[in-house]
Amino acid sequence: MPINISDLKGWLPVDAVVVEGRPGLQWMELPDVELSEPFLQQTVERAKTDGTKRGELFTEFDVLLQLENVLESVLPTGFIFHSSRCGSTLVANACRAMANSIVLSEANAIDKLVARFFTDAAEDGVKVSLYSVFLRGVVHALAQRRRGNEQHLFIKFACTSFAQLERISRIWPNVPWLFLYRDPVETIVSNVNDPPTWLLDDDWRVLASITGVAPSEVAAMSLEERCARSIGSFYSQAVALANDQSMLLNYKQLSVPVISSVLKFFKVSPSAQELETIARASGVYAKEVSGTRPFVADTDAKQKLASNLVREMAARWANEPYQQLEQKRQR
Amino acid sequence: MNLKPGKHVVITDFDGGEGILVDLNTKKYYQLNETAMVVWKGLERGKTMNEIVADITAAYEVAPDKATLSVQRIVDNFQSYKLVGAA
Repeated sequence: MPINISDLKGWLPVDAVVVEGRPGLQWMELPDVELSEPFLQQTVERAKTDGTKRGELFTEFDVLLQLENVLESVLPTGFIFHSSRCGSTLVANACRAMANSIVLSEANAIDKLVARFFTDAAEDGVKVSLYSVFLRGVVHALAQRRRGNEQHLFIKFACTSFAQLERISRIWPNVPWLFLYRDPVETIVSNVNDPPTWLLDDDWRVLASITGVAPSEVAAMSLEERCARSIGSFYSQAVALANDQSMLLNYKQLSVPVISSVLKFFKVSPSAQELETIARASGVYAKEVSGTRPFVADTDAKQKLASNLVREMAARWANEPYQQLEQKRQR
Repeated sequence: MNLKPGKHVVITDFDGGEGILVDLNTKKYYQLNETAMVVWKGLERGKTMNEIVADITAAYEVAPDKATLSVQRIVDNFQSYKLVGAA
């Protein structure tokens, strides 16, 4: 059935999918839904179950190019990259506390398109251009002004997307970016205790590209090694690419004044009231939808939980680039 | 004969001068280099071939006869892929 492009105002691309062999996007009618949860997919799940009848639709990617001429949208204000389990959701929540902001936190449609750079377009310049245009289009569609007063757009990417920073920066060359990271042992402990999808995904091509080995080797690694090599690669990438358009931030630095400095780095000045909201948000566990579970700093607990294998893998694959990153941050 | 872009074709700029075209009928994508983008934009504005050649010689260090050949080849490609039609 042909789609009237202007009818897609208020619809958001909530996932990148393949339907009957055709790659494209899953859209959902969300004209009135605040993106208030810590992750966009949590908002999508809420919308699916809130009792409101909402349209859903599959389109191919060409719709994005047409929408760029139709939808009024907010340009990116700042990008949040991270090495996983290091406080990036807290920073994204702080961005959400700013009036008139849109925060796109680990949106499937964005990060799956970024993943195509690994899996589909590694050596193909035309495909890189194509996926770059689609990525720009997905962000344009997600950042549409649904209320009319939106001013800031913050995008928090999945940790694996950091490995495609150069391609992302080529699309938005002037957008400042933050890289948030944490001590490798603590990061590995957190990931091993509660493994995220990116470490378990059956399609090992993404981690193979990040770690520089064959997919079969990634599949054969222990979770500890897979995580250590991945975060080591993220640290190295940050060391190599950090510049005057970037900010490096260690989990151990996180505080309300530091988060405020991140916002200022993104050229956004929080009001006293917004700082209060950020302070309140910092006191609760950042990934909890209800926002009521108290936040507990767990550096010591994570260190105590670290197995010998965790320490060995951290030492072999991640400690050195972590120290280099620390030196770069402190310069 | 003057030509104009088909209504079934959408274009987007990319990477400082290049562009991507999509034919909505065939769902085929085409990557345009800077010169092809100048030609396409010229056709969008209803310019003649000579006017587009003049745009190119003004923007780039290229002789008019070479620019004419280049524009003709690009327009032929647009026509062969049915991306443009009679104005």
